[in-house]
Amino acid sequence: MGTKKKLLVIDDDPDFVEVIVSILEDADYEVDAKYNPDEGFEALKTGSYDLLLLDVLMGRGAEGIMIARKIGDDERLRETPILIITGMREQIAFLFPGQPVHPSFVPIDELIEKPVKPDLLLEKVSELLRMAEERKAQTQTN
Amino acid sequence: MATKPSFSEEVSNLMHASHGNPLKTCVQCGTCSGTCPVAEFMDHTPRCLIGMINANLKEEVLESNTFWYCASCFHCTVRCPKEIDIAGLMYSLKRYSIWKHTYPEGAIGPVFSETFVKSILRSGRSYEPVLAPTYIFSYGVREFLNEAHTATNLMLKGRLPVLPPRIKRLENFKKMANKIIPMGGA
Amino acid sequence: MRTYSYFPGCSLEKMAMSYHQSAMQTTNKIGVELKEIEDWNCCGATTYFHVDELLAYTLVARNLAIAEKMGHDLVAPCSACYKNTYFGSAYLKEDQDLSDHINYALEADNLHYSGSIEVKHLMEVFVDDVGLEEIKSKITHPLEGLRVAPYYGCQIVRPRKDHEDVENPQFFEDLMSTVGADPVDFTYRLRCCGGSLIITSREAALSLVRDLLQSAVYSDADVIATACPLCQTNLECYQMTVNREFGTDFSIPIMYFTQLLGLSMGLPPKKLGIGTEFVSADRILTFAKEKV
Repeated sequence: MGTKKKLLVIDDDPDFVEVIVSILEDADYEVDAKYNPDEGFEALKTGSYDLLLLDVLMGRGAEGIMIARKIGDDERLRETPILIITGMREQIAFLFPGQPVHPSFVPIDELIEKPVKPDLLLEKVSELLRMAEERKAQTQTN
Repeated sequence: MATKPSFSEEVSNLMHASHGNPLKTCVQCGTCSGTCPVAEFMDHTPRCLIGMINANLKEEVLESNTFWYCASCFHCTVRCPKEIDIAGLMYSLKRYSIWKHTYPEGAIGPVFSETFVKSILRSGRSYEPVLAPTYIFSYGVREFLNEAHTATNLMLKGRLPVLPPRIKRLENFKKMANKIIPMGGA
Repeated sequence: MRTYSYFPGCSLEKMAMSYHQSAMQTTNKIGVELKEIEDWNCCGATTYFHVDELLAYTLVARNLAIAEKMGHDLVAPCSACYKNTYFGSAYLKEDQDLSDHINYALEADNLHYSGSIEVKHLMEVFVDDVGLEEIKSKITHPLEGLRVAPYYGCQIVRPRKDHEDVENPQFFEDLMSTVGADPVDFTYRLRCCGGSLIITSREAALSLVRDLLQSAVYSDADVIATACPLCQTNLECYQMTVNREFGTDFSIPIMYFTQLLGLSMGLPPKKLGIGTEFVSADRILTFAKEKV
């Protein structure tokens, strides 16, 4: 594989971040973490990440959705695959009974719910990374 | 990887436009506690609560009733010499407590918030009587009778609506809410 | 003729109908037209902000967008609606990201808010836009000798919007002087009525209401004037509860400033919604005597 893949986590829950970062680092990824939406988006813009792991309920509300929408509007950033990891059902199901709806703002993304099993997390991460590479190869040949 | 944020930073992250960490600038002067009209009912005064947040006493802060007693009068906010939005902080803690379900079983504050929000999402407007049943059972008999007395008087004066109000473009309204919080059927 | 997009808010539909009626009657007298915002929704009160502020601002933005489409500044008679709408509009004006995101949600109702209108409390329309001189010229029945406790409450003055004086505002006193009444020195005029604590923390709210009523009685007021339906409800509808709980015997009418204004303009009490209150306002009516 050569160089390590670089991932960014944006999530306001320090305990959750601690756990997934250690899982991802054990699987040989390089991981940065930001704990609020503003700093997270700034890091994404200035760094070059291969994948974003994104929480939904942060800061003032569902700011994860706001970030995903902003990324979708940005021609360069929208090529970054996003794995949305949310605990919304637990957090605010009293308001909106049912399931989180996958908002689909960028070409390659997926939504999974907390709590996340380590196997599933790693599987999704490598799947999204693979899809992003395929897409990149495709657009280059075109 | 970044260092794990302190509880004080975690709370600051919840506040609107709070770049940096305004809570850390608190000088513990007590102007907020002296100003707060309900401080005597809180288990910790606002000044004390900010001190506890800065001391990383997460569990004790979340167990406190302080933020559920805040009536959003913003008197502390306009007087704070360090310009900390203390009422805004109380909102953030309520939000944190609701999202993480850290409030005590049977607490009226969060139940009221949830019921109110639900009722608005259902109809676009708030409707006083629908709010009553959810909290009224947590009262004692005496309070219950007082409440019923007040409600009856309001009815007699024609000041309580009989039918819940409803906005016309309710479907669009619900779709709008779902774009902000993508949850539910669809 | 000045025209505004009028956002009555949920309370004015029924609970505070008399505020709505008296607002309509008095604005009409001074050449102000309040055009109700078509299909408006709840402002989110305070509780929405406990769950999701983005959603709360979206609710506010829907009203703002409709008001803007109507082409007029938005005016709210309820202090809580006013505060939420004022700050919602201000944040949308200064934060492009927030505005983009909320406008993305508003598309669901074919709306867009570009931030071209101002948000005002109903009292500002009287005091700042129309002006006290103009109002004075419409006073035919000055309320001479009426001792009024002008109760500001919270959200009409707080949080601070600009550089205005939040510790010692005078506009309510000035308006009461204009209608010929005597504004009394009311110590607790800026203190909280308890708001929704009346539901969630009854004991605390009742003690706030008691303190306020006591303060008005100490200053020998005949009536407390309010500019907010929540304040009015807490002070009036729970006055008897306070008497029961604390063994007091308060019996002081709580009236909307628009009702007092209406009386001084010679409008019939019934048209101002007077007669639906718990604490009778009959005695106050006797002060409205035609100028000779």
